[in-house]
Amino acid sequence: MRPLFHCFHIFLRQISRDSMLFAVLTAPVLTACAFRFGIPYAEVLLCAYFDKVSILSGYYLLFDLFLAVMTPYMFCFASSMVMLTELDENMARYMAVTPVGKQGYIMSRLVFPGTIAFIVSVILMHFFSLTMWSAPFMTLTCFLTSLLSIAVSLLLVSFSHNRVEGMALAKLSGMIMLGLPVPFFLFSRTQYLFCILPSFWIAKLCVDGNLLLTIPAVLTSLLWILVLYGRFEKILS
Amino acid sequence: MKVKSLFLGDVRFQFKYGFYFIYLFFSILYIGLLFALPRMWREKAAVIMIFTDPSAMGLYFMGSMVLFEKSERVLNSIAVSPVKPWEYVISKLFSIGLISSVVSLAIGIPAGIVINPFFFIFGVFLCSCLFSAVGLMIACKITTLNQFILATIPAEILINVPALIWLFWYKKSWLLVHPGVCIMTLCSGEGAPLPALLVLFFWAVLFTVLACGTVKKMLRSVGGVKL
Repeated sequence: MRPLFHCFHIFLRQISRDSMLFAVLTAPVLTACAFRFGIPYAEVLLCAYFDKVSILSGYYLLFDLFLAVMTPYMFCFASSMVMLTELDENMARYMAVTPVGKQGYIMSRLVFPGTIAFIVSVILMHFFSLTMWSAPFMTLTCFLTSLLSIAVSLLLVSFSHNRVEGMALAKLSGMIMLGLPVPFFLFSRTQYLFCILPSFWIAKLCVDGNLLLTIPAVLTSLLWILVLYGRFEKILS
Repeated sequence: MKVKSLFLGDVRFQFKYGFYFIYLFFSILYIGLLFALPRMWREKAAVIMIFTDPSAMGLYFMGSMVLFEKSERVLNSIAVSPVKPWEYVISKLFSIGLISSVVSLAIGIPAGIVINPFFFIFGVFLCSCLFSAVGLMIACKITTLNQFILATIPAEILINVPALIWLFWYKKSWLLVHPGVCIMTLCSGEGAPLPALLVLFFWAVLFTVLACGTVKKMLRSVGGVKL
């Protein structure tokens, strides 16, 4: 474990030197404040303008889901950028042959940030969510969004050969989040076209409140992670 | 001739690393989204999409492009070649401006906002050059992607926020001195397009000149030695 923590410490030092650590810690708080106070205010203004009883309030759960995804996504995005740099400069391959190993490298760059992001996400959701959440359900959702963010990061680093491709893929990777609004807007069976996306199952779990949907949510995330991990391992070899 | 070779090299590079594929995908996605929106929202949504994505792609990608060139020692070769800093800058700006203009047209035509193609294309092209020049100035001074992403945030806020304020709330003519408002004017067809184009041209040239200076300084110090 010692080399692993040392590797994670190097990562933390890198992102704190870039001020990215400060950014990934403050940006979710600012966004959470904007969601918690800005959206109900916008709802009042919109309802008054369009003379309606509710416009946004039916989608408060969707905003909560975006909040739950955002913190781990930001943490993992910062990790991806560091990993892309390390891949470009061959540092990642050097790390993989040290006592840290390939798995240790991925642990220090994705699992540790993902775990921290999970804790931060639970805290933010507790204080800033727009809808009522039970503690176990909130923890489960944040755990699932953390898994999803790890999958997104792996997608970035396993399919790009350099920083330029990485940035191009970063634009595309946001598509994995496309599943979040699907259960809110598509009610027919067409919604199952998005079943390959873990974000779809996370949103469906929260909308339906059926705990059995945790199984496809976990399985799709793990499937993405396993496939992408296999590919990334080859890049490190 | 050197500019042409550099330009073709940059276009090849951008094609190889998937810029064209990604923007083909995003164009289709944006057009689909536009048609999913109510008709009365479509024009404003299209203007925002064009302004924040294809026009601003230089600001997003320039960091990775320059850092990649630094790590592959491309800049070292350019520093000792007859290529002048302004040629390097122009090729980068024009190659990105080409994708921006094509993608913006692809989004703008179905959205019905291309009233005058001349103003529209030149507006997007100049706006793209401005964003790319700002991105290039930042990219020359950074060493990591995270630094680049953070450093671009103030530029994005300074260019985007006044433009969005103009589009939704505060349509005063004096705001036309702002480059973001100029591109909104040129894309939406509201207000005076010719002064907007001239103001945008001024900003684009100013930042291109500044970017040339920054690139010159960077090329003099690649490899840790001041040439």
